[in-house]
Amino acid sequence: MSNTSHEVAQGPHHTSGAASTALSAHSIDKKFPGVLANDSVDFDVRAGEVHTLLGENGAGKSTLAAVLCGLYQPDAGYLMRNGKRINLSSPRAGLQHGIAMVHQHFRLVERFTVSENVILGSRDLPFKLNRREINEKVAAVAESYGLPIDPDATVGDLSVGQRQRVEIVKALYQGAEILLLDEPTAVLVPSEVEKLFENVHAMTAAGKSIVFISHKLGEVVEISDRVTVLRNGRVTGHVSGRGTTDTKELARLMVGRDIELNAQRATHATGHEVLQIRNLSLSIDDVAVLTEISFNVHAGEMVGIAGVAGNGQRELADTIAGLISPTSGSVSISGAMTTDCGPIQAREVGLAYVPEDRLGMGLVPSMSILDNLLLTRDRQIVVDRVSVRPEAARLIEQFEIKANGPDHLARKLSGGNAQKVLLARELSGGRSATKLLVVCSPTRGLDVGAIETVRRLINDARSAGQAILLISEDLDEVLSLSDRVLVLYRGAVVHETSGETAQLSQVGAAMAGLS
Amino acid sequence: MMHIPFRVVFEQRGETPRRLSLLVPLASVFAALFFGALFLLATGHSPIDTYSNMFQDGFASFNGITDTLALSTVLICTGISAAFAFQMNLYNIGGEGQLYLGLIGGAWAGIALGDHLPTLMMVPLVLLCGALAGAAWIFVPAFVRSRLGTSEIVSTLLLTYIGASLIKHVIYTPGSFFRNPNTSFPQGRLVADSASLDSFGSSRLYPTFFVALIIAGALYWVVKRTEFGYRINVISDSPRAAHYAGINARRTTMWVMLISGALSGLAGAMLIVGPYGKIEPSIITLGYGYAGIVVAALARNNLGVIIVSGILFSGLRVGGNNLQVTTDTPIHIGVMLQGAILLFALGGEAFRRYHIHVVRVHDATVKKVAA
Ligand SMILES: Nc1ncnc2c1ncn2[C@@H]1O[C@H](COP(=O)(O)OP(=O)(O)O)[C@@H](O)[C@H]1O
Ligand SMILES: [Mg+2]
Repeated sequence: MSNTSHEVAQGPHHTSGAASTALSAHSIDKKFPGVLANDSVDFDVRAGEVHTLLGENGAGKSTLAAVLCGLYQPDAGYLMRNGKRINLSSPRAGLQHGIAMVHQHFRLVERFTVSENVILGSRDLPFKLNRREINEKVAAVAESYGLPIDPDATVGDLSVGQRQRVEIVKALYQGAEILLLDEPTAVLVPSEVEKLFENVHAMTAAGKSIVFISHKLGEVVEISDRVTVLRNGRVTGHVSGRGTTDTKELARLMVGRDIELNAQRATHATGHEVLQIRNLSLSIDDVAVLTEISFNVHAGEMVGIAGVAGNGQRELADTIAGLISPTSGSVSISGAMTTDCGPIQAREVGLAYVPEDRLGMGLVPSMSILDNLLLTRDRQIVVDRVSVRPEAARLIEQFEIKANGPDHLARKLSGGNAQKVLLARELSGGRSATKLLVVCSPTRGLDVGAIETVRRLINDARSAGQAILLISEDLDEVLSLSDRVLVLYRGAVVHETSGETAQLSQVGAAMAGLS
Repeated sequence: MMHIPFRVVFEQRGETPRRLSLLVPLASVFAALFFGALFLLATGHSPIDTYSNMFQDGFASFNGITDTLALSTVLICTGISAAFAFQMNLYNIGGEGQLYLGLIGGAWAGIALGDHLPTLMMVPLVLLCGALAGAAWIFVPAFVRSRLGTSEIVSTLLLTYIGASLIKHVIYTPGSFFRNPNTSFPQGRLVADSASLDSFGSSRLYPTFFVALIIAGALYWVVKRTEFGYRINVISDSPRAAHYAGINARRTTMWVMLISGALSGLAGAMLIVGPYGKIEPSIITLGYGYAGIVVAALARNNLGVIIVSGILFSGLRVGGNNLQVTTDTPIHIGVMLQGAILLFALGGEAFRRYHIHVVRVHDATVKKVAA
């Protein structure tokens, strides 16, 4: 990913200009109640190429893919396979035409083995399965595309990256010629992404077509032969990937305006220690979740915690926020010990916390923006909404929240606007002025425009002298924003580096536990 | 292979259209009346006469209205008891049992405190003791629910049976404090005169009706406007958000259940200061506590609507019960109509929550799948 532009400029891909169109969609319309998810979309993919669908969340990428594989029937428009019109009434019909989709959310049976999952749904199985034969066949398919996988492993024991491999092997086993990969990199660590890209190249080399879906510009430029950009269900542009390195142009097509993608690291002299963590350990049900963590965050400094999901990030944040009592060790905020004190005391000394889970933890979905602003504040016995209303209106304006006003329900906000409400509340201080902001995955699932705003808000908070602890699985985000980066692996800090000099490969290796 | 060419698809609605919120309950009542009419016709009764009689007896005569409001006094209390617990997704199924304890607590105060106090102090004391007894009856379910997460559905229901036995015990045991010592026939002992209210004029409606209205309004206000209500809303919607904000869910759960129990107990005590003046063992056959669950369900647990649903349901019940007196229609028809309205009203929920449509399964699909 670091050598994106170079690779694309050289074009190491295998398309031959004369390759014929394998699958095409013509003027596809697909309506859902209240939204036109696809609006006369034209799309085609040739044999042996990677054609990317790029677009923000909700642009209609998954919907188009579902139409292409037969999961949805379009309201208008039609599909052609090798120049002949086809009518796909189900994913099975799609499969018969060699079209298979790897969904954003895997559809595997965890208790089954890899081979069992791969043959699941096959029609012409004998009454009695010959396991050895099937295993060999599965392994052979996997090998030929560089997708090593143990056919006898139970899927429940596999990592996310391996499960994805199982899905791909399954599609290939079923005879797919055209694979639709819906946001395959969203769940992967950098090393896994690289591996996936190698597999993709192996598949295109063998003449398969790949429809790659993503909203991450960097990887799109790296992997694609061609890019089609979707916005609000419409195609806003086609870009030939090779030779085009202009991520700005792609971003503009995606969002509809110019945006600044690389939030620059603020270079501020850092002040006194705001957050001090000493030898923090946590066990839950006798399983060590955090072990001997110690670090500080200074005023005006942003410390980033990188790591693959499930390595203790959430527990670390919750412990700092006073939601979990550690087994041993201490947390202090602005010089006050807050270990075991509970969230309210921690907030009284300046904590603000934006949890990973926006709706359901940070915000109460069925309550209004106004009531949600009150969640972490001091409320009287009779809740005084009248005097908070003007402030709510002001915050909605200041944070550019798209809402009908303070009474807008949180669950009716888009992801980006929900996140802005959360940030508005946490940054505007409640029980005391915010001194420490703990943010978890602040931009996950947001569209590019909202990502830009959210990063800017967090950066502004740092510039205003707040100490920031940024916990995110998005490594690019951590590396581009943080002054200091710590890598959390199995509950321990295994790597520490300054943000400026951080090496993607080193941090990536540490995240995978290889350091 | 047999193939059905149609499929019924339930598609969840993101948002219920406003007109449906009104239309569905109305349509439910009409559907129930239509269904009841078929039944009446089949059993040789005139639906029009029966319905007009029911309406007359339930809502359109002086006695009908006052009887309806009198019954609603109790049903509003047990209705908010159920609906209030439901604000936190707690199912207090045992309002019936808490009502029995309210009878006992209220009767105890009415007898034990004697004639020493004026009515203005005595009646509130009786009501208070009934409420406390109801709260005490739910204490154990509330405690185990808030500490251990033990289902309150089972525990509150079980305690109802024990409550019924307790009522029988205090009335049928010779020499019991609550038993009338002057009759050999087992009867409740009358409370002091100062603990009894007079009804309005010739009606059977007591001033406790206004107490019920005030309490319904007050609880509505508490949930909408106060910190306590705010906490209830947070916890019921997302317990994790409550944890995040430092809201103590256990304590709130405890309080909500205790208040719910107190409301059913209050309903029992209202029967003491109102019509009965004593523990009347036949009350356990009337099911006022259970009816409260129905009233709450009809109001979709919306505290603002309990008064309306309580009065409607009471009118239906009064009208239905009177059928037997004013016509020769068996009482069971009235009961059946009540049941039908409830079923249709609750069944109508499906239409509010789901967009239901029938789709043709394409022939093409059929062939492919069958192939
Ligand atoms: N099954 C569905 N029912 C209703 N609306 C849907 C459904 N699937 C997608 N949508 C809507 O269609 C639009 C496009 O969604 P989607 O194709 O999932 O976008 P993307 O994959 O680009 O993020 C969104 O507004 C989404 O809310
Ligand atoms: Mg999608």
